[in-house]
Parts: sequence; C-alpha cells; structure tokens
Amino acid sequence: MRTRVFVAAVAVVALGVVAATAGASGQHRQANKLTVWLQVDAQSGWPDVVAAANAQFQQDHPGYTVDVQYQNWSDHLQKFDATLAGGNSPDVIEMGNTEMTKYMAAGAFADITSSKSIFDNSANWLKGLAASGVYGGKLYGVPYYAGSRVVTYRTDVYNKAGIKKLPTSLAQFTTDARMLAAKNASVKGFSPVYIAGTDWYFAMSFVYDFGGSIAKTSKGKWIGNLDSPQSIAGLTAYKSFFTAVSKASKTSDEAHPAPYDVYSQGAAGSIIGPGWYSCCVGDKFKTTTAQFVMPSHTPGQPMPGFLGGSDLAIPTTSANKALAVDWLKDFISTSSEKALQAKGNIPNATNLLGTNVNERAAARSWFVPAAKHWVDVENGNILRNMLATILQGKLTVKQAAQNASDNISLVLNGS
Amino acid sequence: MSSNPLPDGMAIAAETPWSRQRRRLTWSRLARGSVPYLLILPVLAVIGAVLGYPLYSLVRLSFQHYGLFELIRHAGQSVGLANYSSVLHDQIFWHTLLRTVVFTIANVGLTMTIGTALALLLVRLSNWVRVVLMSGLVLVWSVPVVVAVQVWYWMTNYQNGVLNYALTKLHLGDFFHHDWYATTFSQLGIVTALIVWGALPFVVVTVYAALAQVPRELVEAAEIDGASSLRVFRDVTVPILKPMLLILTSLSILWDFGVFTQPYLLIGQAHTTPSNYLMGTYLFEEGYIKTDFGRGAAISLLMLLIVAAMSVFYVRKMVKIGDVE
Repeated sequence: MRTRVFVAAVAVVALGVVAATAGASGQHRQANKLTVWLQVDAQSGWPDVVAAANAQFQQDHPGYTVDVQYQNWSDHLQKFDATLAGGNSPDVIEMGNTEMTKYMAAGAFADITSSKSIFDNSANWLKGLAASGVYGGKLYGVPYYAGSRVVTYRTDVYNKAGIKKLPTSLAQFTTDARMLAAKNASVKGFSPVYIAGTDWYFAMSFVYDFGGSIAKTSKGKWIGNLDSPQSIAGLTAYKSFFTAVSKASKTSDEAHPAPYDVYSQGAAGSIIGPGWYSCCVGDKFKTTTAQFVMPSHTPGQPMPGFLGGSDLAIPTTSANKALAVDWLKDFISTSSEKALQAKGNIPNATNLLGTNVNERAAARSWFVPAAKHWVDVENGNILRNMLATILQGKLTVKQAAQNASDNISLVLNGS
Repeated sequence: MSSNPLPDGMAIAAETPWSRQRRRLTWSRLARGSVPYLLILPVLAVIGAVLGYPLYSLVRLSFQHYGLFELIRHAGQSVGLANYSSVLHDQIFWHTLLRTVVFTIANVGLTMTIGTALALLLVRLSNWVRVVLMSGLVLVWSVPVVVAVQVWYWMTNYQNGVLNYALTKLHLGDFFHHDWYATTFSQLGIVTALIVWGALPFVVVTVYAALAQVPRELVEAAEIDGASSLRVFRDVTVPILKPMLLILTSLSILWDFGVFTQPYLLIGQAHTTPSNYLMGTYLFEEGYIKTDFGRGAAISLLMLLIVAAMSVFYVRKMVKIGDVE
C-alpha cells in the first residue's frame, strides 16, 4: 500500500510543478515590444496610417517595436477572452463601439481619464462615439473613427439605365433599381442593389426610418421594441425593398461574400456599406464608382444610418500602459484622422468634420441600445435570424419580430 | 494488489528476523515492487497533467459563476448546482441533444456503410484502380480540417459555387443561386457530407486491412456449398470483421457526437442559431460567445457523461466478443 501512496505523492508533486510552470510562462512578456490588435479594416483600408503611427512611435521610443496583429470581427472577442485568462493580452485593442460596454463593466480596460488631454482634439471628440468609451464617468476607450453607411454605385450602369438624377426617396430608388434590373437582364444574377439578406445594420435603418427601434427602457428594464407597429412597418419596407432590388442569398451576411467582391465581379449595380467600400471595387470599376446617401422613405431626407465606429482601449493586464497611451496618441493624431477621413471614414472630432458623403449620411444616424448585454444580442444572431426568417417567408413579419423582440428583452435584462 | 508480482508469503517471512535485515528486505521489496509503477509513472504524470488537472479545473468551474468579470480577476463565485440546473431546464439543451443524436446516427451510419462498401470494392478492383482509389483516399485524409471546410464552403457557395454550376450543367435542374444554407436540414446535410467525406479514408483503409484476415478457404468452402455472395458476406465476412466494425463504429460515434470544427466553420458564426446547434456548437455559444464559462463547463461535463455512457456500452460489448473467441 505504501508504494501507492508514494506514487500518488510523486504524481501530485509532478502536477504541481507543471501547474506552476504553466502559470509562470503566461506572465512572461517582452518589455520592449508593444502588441497592438487592430481589425483587418486597417490592413485592407489604411495600412499607411498604421505604418506612419508606428514610425512616429519608434522615433519617440528608440529600441521599441510595435507588433500589429490584425483580427477579424467574428472572433476577436473570443481570442481576447482567452488572452485575459492566459495573461498574454495585447497592450492596445480595437473594439467595436457596440462591444465596449460589456468589457468596461467587467473591468477589462485601464482607466485613462487622466491622459485624456494629451490626445489631439480630445475636447471636440464626436459625442456619440466618445460616449461608447466612457463608463461610470471614467474614460476607458478613445474614439478611433466612425463610419456611416452609404450607397456605392457604378456611374456607367446608372447612366445607361437612364438615371439622370440620383434618387432622393426610397420609392424613387426602388423605381430606379427596377430600371437597372431591366437594362441588365442579360447579366445573370445581377443585383441592382446588392444587399446581404441578414445585413442587420442596413435592415435596422428601415426600422429607425419608420420611427421604430430595437429596444427601449422603461422603469430601469429593457423592452424589445421590434414588435411595435413602427418597427414592423420598417421591417416590412425592408423586405419589399430587398425583394425588389437584391439577388443575394436571403441567409447571407455582409462578410460572406464581401459586397464589394460581388460588385467587382460586375454582378451588382450598387452596394450598401461603409464608405471605405470604395477601396475594393476592383480596377475595372475604379473610375466609374461614386457614392451617395441612402434616401429615406420621407422624400429629401437621408435614411438614418448605423453609426458604426471603433474605440481603442488598453487592457488592464497590459504591462506597458504608459507606452500604450503614447502609441494611441500617435495613432489618433490629427494627421492620422485626416488620412482616415480621406479614405472615406468619419474622423473622431467635430473640428475635423468635412462634407464627404459619409459625413452627410451621418446627419441622421442610429445606434444600438446602450445595454451591458447588447453584444450578446449581436453575437447571438437574434436579428440575423429574424431577417432570414422574414425574407424566406417562414414566418410573417409580425411573428418574426415578436419572437425576436421577446428574445431581446430576455437577453438585455440578463444578469 | 493483484498487480504486485511478489507473493504475500515473502512479506510474512520477513517479519521474524532482525529489524535491520527486515528493513533491507523491505527496501528491496519496495524497490522491486515499485518497478512496474515507476515504469508507468511517466505515462501517469503526462495523463495527469494533460487530462487530470484540466478535468479537475473543469469540474470546479462547473460549480462556479464564471463570466467575464471573474475571468479578469481569475476567481469565480461558488454557486453549487445552479449551472447544471439551468442547463437541464433549458429547452435548447434537450432539442440540441436530440438533434445531435439524430445527426450522429446519420453520420456514423453513412460513414460505416459507404466505408465498408468501398473496402469491399477495393478487394475486387484491378491493381492500378486500387492504387488510384487509395491515393485519393489518402489525399482526403491528409487535408487539414480547416482547409477542407474552406474548400467545401467555396464549392457550395451561393454566388460562385462550383456545385451549383456543375449541377446546372448536368441538367439536374436550375441550381443557379441555390442556397445550400437556407434551411437547418440543408445546412446539416452539407456538414454531414463533409464529415463523412473526411471520415471515409480511415474506415476504408481499416476495413480493407481487416478483410485480408478473412480466410480464403472459408469463403471458397461457402461458395462450393452454393452460398450466394450476399450470403457469404453476411455469414462469413461480417462475423470475422465484427470486432473491427464495432471499434470503428464506437470511435465514429465518439467523434461525431462532439464534432465542432466542421459545423461551426461551415455554417459560420453569423448563422449559428439555436435552430442549428449541435452539442459542440451549443457548448461554444453558451460558454465562449456568451462568456459564461461556468455554464459552459457544466454542458461539457454533461456531454462527457453521455459519451462515457455510450463508451461503456461498446467496451462491454467488445469484451464479450473477446471472451467468445
């Protein structure tokens, strides 16, 4: 019996050693390297802005290197969670403005309130965007850029279809799209306006355009509002617009395939998405591509667009917080923001705002409910599922909206 | 104690002499007796490190509320059985379990049937065709899962997929812009095709090797007695292959029940909803996407129990087969 005890003791010691070394290796980091997680948008849209910020940073801090690692929207949070557990999180992370609240509430980011004044234009930051980086009165994330959604279109096919004046109402746009479809009937699968079926950013614009909303608060509780008559009117309008203008799969999302890929293959007359979509329309259509503001169902008005945007935050686990702040300063400097603006984005401060199409589109915008659990609604695909169900006709708009709304109430009020 | 190579009588004999001799004897006894343990010690240590410790952590996690807040602080709050009761009272869990069982039966059934049929075909083929088929199978085997998923995703693509193109060209109907991911049935059907495709090489190669063990004389004797080829297969080949088929079936069940990579990547995060969850994706959505690691741990332990129960059934069956022969 003693041998067994002996073996057990040895095993326990061995396990202890393994556990101890595993814990220790996670803490090891390189002191002269700054790890930055940016989304792939920067990699495809403005690598020069990133390079310029890195060069400036290295000039100020000789001997330091910046390791920029590009992430995908679909899984960057899971990867970040894993690094929080393992102790090797990045020193700077880009977060979507809809993703911030949950992480700020959990205490994932460092409080940088005292450094606010060192960032360029911080007194004039865009209100809505800057608010997404503030929790409990403290600053946890700096605004990086915002983006509205615009229509990117081919001037050549619009001209050929006899569209002289760009549409200023939803009804006019639908009529124009029908003309585009008729003129391009020979192109198999041609979408006058390519819209991914479950592109909820665009679909919810209809909801807000008709006076509806995703959720509202009452007596400190969240209530799903997609089942309100206004929201249902918006969803119904989305369904008829989609059916009239898009040949995209009813279950597809706006990343698979990227709408600009469909466009560059000549299978779309126009696409809807962030202003920087013009980056990737392909050499063939580079000179015949322009953008306009998505019109509302109320003539003469823009349709409220999703005001997307990104913040940059410093995880509490970072060992290089002061350096990270310095890099942030370089990355959201006035010159960086102007370069981002030139690529079709909205810069982070009001004093930099111009009148490009994206900025005009942002005149009317909407944003997701500022709830701690919003990101769970987003990642739980409640909206996407509802849209696919509506477009496929599996349920009526009213039934699908009712289900989604109940679900949203449940998730937003979760513990 | 049956594994101890020393008979008990030796220990009793050592009781009587001087204490010094006794200690020496005990030392040598200990040394000799612990050799087998020392030999398996590295294995035990490795298993303990890679399985035992994580399993212990998992069990502990399943009794805690462990979300993002707790993750950052590396400390959970004990909640007793709350995670288990919330999972077991979740309709989605039971629906997912049922869907996964049906999915597993379909996948394992198709894998084993097609695999065995291909192995039987291999025996009858001319040499060069067999080499070609084998090479094809080995190629399939060597494709990493993630790469295979990407290839299948392209093939079944709505916009430019070669599958839609080929089916239309073959005049099997108008498949232009056919959406293979429109319904849960179709989604899981494509996932099933991908999994069976990937699982076939292992099954075919193994059954083919096992077929070499079927004695020629037995088959010839049966044929001389006038047995049809179907009869020979049923009464001669299958009984000899049975242990191998059982092992393959049980392994396939274990793999397919917990499958994650293929459904999650092929269907995609943006389209994974409770209506197409399998146990693997359900666990990932509940645990990781919703950052509720305690609940995720409870789900994975429940899955472990189900899989263990299924394994016990097969292990017992296999032991029985071993006894008869």
